[in-house]
Amino acid sequence: MDNQLALQMRGITKRFGSVLANNHVDLDIYRGEILAVLGENGCGKTTLMNMIAGIYFPDEGQILIDGREVVIRSPKDAFEHGIGMIHQHFKLVDLFTAAENIVLGVHEEGAFSRRDVNARVTAIASKYGFSIDPEKKIYDMSVSEKQTVEIIKVLYRGADILILDEPTAVLTPQEIDRLFQVLRVMKADGKSIVIITHKLNEVLEVSDRVAILRKGEHIATVSTRDTNESELTEMMVGKKVDLDIRRSDPVDAQPRLVVTGLNLYDAEGVHVLKDISFTANGSEILGIAGIAGSGQRELLESIAGLQPLKSGEIIFHNPKKNKPVTFFHKSLRRVEELAGQHAFHDAAGNPVSFAGMKKKDIQKLVNDGQVLFNEDELINLRDKTPLQIRELGVRLSFVPEDRLGMGLVGSMGITDNMMLRSYRKGPHGLLDRKKPKALAERIIEELQVVTPGTQTPVRRLSGGNVQKVLVGREIAFTPKVLMAAYPVRGLDINSSYTIYHLLTRQKETGVAVLFVGEDLDVLLALCDRILVMNSGAVSGIVDARTATKEQLGLMMTRTDRTRKEAV
Amino acid sequence: MTANHTPQVREPLVHLSRRTEFSPLRAWGVRLAALVLGLIVCGLAAFLLIEKLQQNPGRIGDFYYAFIKGSFGTSRKLWKMLKNLSILLCIALALTPAFRMRFWNTGAEGQTLMGVLGAIAVDFYFGGKWPEALLIPVMLLAAIIFGGVWGLIPALFKARFNTNETLFTLMMNYVATFVVSYFLVIWVPSGSSSLAKLKYGKLPSVVNDYFLIILIALLLTIGLYIYLNYSKHGYEISVVGESVRTAQYVGISVPKVILRTMLLSGMLCGLTGFLIGSGLDQTITTESVGGQGFTAIMVAWMGNFNPLMMILTSGLIQILNQGAAQISQDFNVSGALPDVIVGIMLFFVIGCEFFINYQLHFRRAQSKEAVR
Amino acid sequence: MKKIAAALLALVLCLGCLTSLAAEPVAKENIKLGVILLHDEFSTYDLNFINGVNEAKEALGLSDEQVVIIRNIPESNECYETALDLVDEGCNIIFADSFGHESFLLQAAKEHPEVEFAHATGTTAHTENLPNFHNAFASIYEGRYLAGVAAGMKLNEIKEAGKLKGETPLMGYVGAFTYAEVMSGYTSFYLGAKSVCPDVQMKVQFTGSWYDEKEEKAAAEALIALGCDLISQHADSMGAPTACENAGIPNVSYNGSTLESCPNTFIVSSRINWAPYFEYMINQKMAGEAIDIDWTGTIATGSVVLTDVNEQAAAAGTAEAIEAVKAEFAAGTRHVFDTAAENFITVGGAPLTSYMADVDTDAAFTPDTEAVADGYFHESEYRSAPYFDVRIDGIELLNQMF
Repeated sequence: MDNQLALQMRGITKRFGSVLANNHVDLDIYRGEILAVLGENGCGKTTLMNMIAGIYFPDEGQILIDGREVVIRSPKDAFEHGIGMIHQHFKLVDLFTAAENIVLGVHEEGAFSRRDVNARVTAIASKYGFSIDPEKKIYDMSVSEKQTVEIIKVLYRGADILILDEPTAVLTPQEIDRLFQVLRVMKADGKSIVIITHKLNEVLEVSDRVAILRKGEHIATVSTRDTNESELTEMMVGKKVDLDIRRSDPVDAQPRLVVTGLNLYDAEGVHVLKDISFTANGSEILGIAGIAGSGQRELLESIAGLQPLKSGEIIFHNPKKNKPVTFFHKSLRRVEELAGQHAFHDAAGNPVSFAGMKKKDIQKLVNDGQVLFNEDELINLRDKTPLQIRELGVRLSFVPEDRLGMGLVGSMGITDNMMLRSYRKGPHGLLDRKKPKALAERIIEELQVVTPGTQTPVRRLSGGNVQKVLVGREIAFTPKVLMAAYPVRGLDINSSYTIYHLLTRQKETGVAVLFVGEDLDVLLALCDRILVMNSGAVSGIVDARTATKEQLGLMMTRTDRTRKEAV
Repeated sequence: MTANHTPQVREPLVHLSRRTEFSPLRAWGVRLAALVLGLIVCGLAAFLLIEKLQQNPGRIGDFYYAFIKGSFGTSRKLWKMLKNLSILLCIALALTPAFRMRFWNTGAEGQTLMGVLGAIAVDFYFGGKWPEALLIPVMLLAAIIFGGVWGLIPALFKARFNTNETLFTLMMNYVATFVVSYFLVIWVPSGSSSLAKLKYGKLPSVVNDYFLIILIALLLTIGLYIYLNYSKHGYEISVVGESVRTAQYVGISVPKVILRTMLLSGMLCGLTGFLIGSGLDQTITTESVGGQGFTAIMVAWMGNFNPLMMILTSGLIQILNQGAAQISQDFNVSGALPDVIVGIMLFFVIGCEFFINYQLHFRRAQSKEAVR
Repeated sequence: MKKIAAALLALVLCLGCLTSLAAEPVAKENIKLGVILLHDEFSTYDLNFINGVNEAKEALGLSDEQVVIIRNIPESNECYETALDLVDEGCNIIFADSFGHESFLLQAAKEHPEVEFAHATGTTAHTENLPNFHNAFASIYEGRYLAGVAAGMKLNEIKEAGKLKGETPLMGYVGAFTYAEVMSGYTSFYLGAKSVCPDVQMKVQFTGSWYDEKEEKAAAEALIALGCDLISQHADSMGAPTACENAGIPNVSYNGSTLESCPNTFIVSSRINWAPYFEYMINQKMAGEAIDIDWTGTIATGSVVLTDVNEQAAAAGTAEAIEAVKAEFAAGTRHVFDTAAENFITVGGAPLTSYMADVDTDAAFTPDTEAVADGYFHESEYRSAPYFDVRIDGIELLNQMF
């Protein structure tokens, strides 16, 4: 079995317009191995695999299977050569059962026998260790179950070479473990497995060999045993990358945003947020973890004033420093009461103590405005529009998940995108582009945004640069609360770390940061506390310094399971 | 290299890709080439369709000369072209704010017609009773109100019930036509229901009858260019047009912008209606706008919703129209021929944008590239 | 200011000189005729004018360059602009064919007294009294009457064969608008039929458009469904004739023969021939004579013509009967709107003895002229365009919104 070639790619080149997606790539796939194709977003790894799967046709180069040159023009051709691909976005018919989806498009002699198909599906599943109910409809399935259907679909067609595009992106740690086990069984069965990924730990965990692509070029293929994380990163990025997030400890974390009992129903009447309560502190990054679609987006949008809530309160604590004790407090009893709640200080910041002072002296001190204290102004954001929230003086920044569809205007340049939050300033009806332009130039310089100019539509920028523009703008308004939904999704490693560092810096200046993430390793390394969401409810808040991935994974799914058991 | 053995035989003959960069100069070159190619094809079509040309092929020179003669033959024709350009441009300008907002207002025809109706109604009832200095401003006001209301109605439904604005505004055109028919029957109860030219309410003649109209169109173009590109309103329109979600995210009230913009769009149509009613016809028929409300959609699209570009596109359409009409006159051919000619020209002019935006890859060209 | 006024006066005088010069004979090669059409040859109405112009051109031996036809000119300022363009081109007679063109043509006429402007179907020339502005029409009601005679004979034939759909003969009529032109037309058609088939009734359906093939076809089909034995129309498309051919219902057409498309149902068609008017204008111009301010073409001038009778569909003897009535018209022994004959024209059961018609156009449309005299209604005598708009018994209007 070992070292038997299954498929060879020779000099494969693919262009999209002027973009060279793959440049003379040579790659071998052996029988009975798990090959990881590793690379950053946009390096051409999916394009390369799509050419084996018959989605694209190479501009140049050859594909050889068992040493013979083949032509793969369609997924059907690919199947005939025993190649099957499981795409990142599943291609299943929601209203059909698992078995129906699996046989869809397979031409077999004789009448369709449901029992027959079910039996064969079950046989494949048990052979490789899947658990699947052939009669279950797709719309009833979890993401992991859908993936299982996709894999069995490919196996049912007799594929020997399976390509999985980012298979772990949507799975919990437990599900990832199960998937890897299945992959190992398939490998032992002599199948060739290719997983496309950009996650290093998974590569090291499951693969036998790693092929690294960078900017369309095949950099190297190495044996997993002989490599390590930093070497792989270096090959992927092209230079050494510091993979340390450098989390600092929170200093004087005070409540900044107190959310209690949020309930939200969407337009279809589905209960999307269920009784959410939490406190986000200043000088702290509160991570929000959860399976995609567990209500993370709705939660942030509710806080930003974009969702009509059913119930609940969102109290923003607006710090007011150096408030003098005024005549309102002048009865000594009130002043003493206040002294019990707040620490008084004078204009120089030194603590003021009334201990041993005479009543008259205290009064004089107060009347002279010498006694100051810090108190938060409480503002309820519930039922306020984004504009009202801003007008209340609440400095709330929000980096939404949908960058070009919500956070930015794709067809506008950076300058005009800077204006989105501030264009209303100015006395007359005309726009002032001077300040936004200056801000745009500052962000380009400070965050090293690669762009031809401030006028270039941001849609034309790469994902990382788009995100820098968005985060840069939101930070430029010196927020007190900064919410970021999946801010590193689709970003290369360098850009991701730029964002992590930006968020950490915000936290260090006292901002309450809410970070919705999908990579649990990052959540654990970046955040101070992690709120885990599960089906629209909070299933717990944990200390990120002590929690484990497995623990988070369980919390992401646990109540779901208990709920089902209850039903 | 084994490139020679690659199975390219099965690659499709031609495939498309989007151009990323294309210099403006080259783009204009393509447009010019399309124009020339269109003229050649028009010439060929003319040979097929015009008997006189078949009998005397030497007259092909007259054929092409007619394109110039139609708009530049006499100073009267030139003024007429500039005036027609201005009216068409005004309607296209009126559409532009709505289009930038991705509100597909196909109701300019009706909104403009309502503007004409507003102006003529005032003229009909008060002409001769009021001094012209009062009558004409009131006509203008009525035209703007009528057009504005006609634009606002679909916007209200869009903002409140999210109705499809394309169908709604299209329907409003027919309603406007029948409203005009209704008033014509009331105003001209016996006989033809055809309102003879009114004696009062004529926009004063400055230099000539057309100059004021042209001047207004020019000022409107500049004004709208500034409004769209340099005003807060214009900015909001762009944001709403690009993404309603972004607008909500930054706290722009989307219904408010829709209503305001459609009111403006309708009011500008109404203003154009005033120019037609008071500046030119001093009467109204159901055909007073004559389909220009639809042509203007094309003008705005071809001009990329840029008011300055739209001067060129409305000019192009007007020169083509007058040239084609001249051909019909000079060769005494059916009224359908101008449509054929204008159609061919627009096919090329609009079609060439495809080649500016996309690149065709032919199989053979590709293998050459591969060698390189 | 005075200087300018003086200069203007001089200019006006000069133009006045030009007018008198225009009375001088114009050489044939210097004649140039401009024709402004509302639509083009796809409209039978406009086609009729194109044919008329071409016929006159042939008859007088004018060259191609001497006739300029401009198509698709709406009833707006564009008509005025086009007229001026034609003046620039050197035309000395300019003609427009649509009712709504009139006020715009008049405007051009006022500015260019040296050029003759003529207009079909118009109503204002006889009151404006401008020497160079003319209206023209034809006594088409006589043609309609003749066509009505053919229709009445066909109904008699059907009746005798016992194939009437109802008890009494019923005709259907597809009209465009409730204009005098249409009303005069269908009434004379009805009277022609009634003159040979006394118990005939008629239903009229209006479409609200001069040219709408779909609507006209639908209207004809509706009339057939209502039990009409014969259909005629005053609208410009093939809609009604096609519907008749499909249903096998006889059709009396207008504006030209539809024999080719409707061989089984086409009986006869009346139309105005405009060639005599064009020839008349050009001849007057060449002779240096004035053109009538308001000109009415007749059967005698060759302006009102009937196509050949389709023997296959018409009743026997139709052509002869038509010729006989024609002779009576010529002799003045028969009038279309004969108010003297018993039980011929009644309104609300009473005979029509007096009717004030709106002949002179004014804003309020006040009736101004007594039209009934000497035992008949004098149509097209006080001005060329029709003004008969009496609603007489025996004709039912199904809709009146247009």
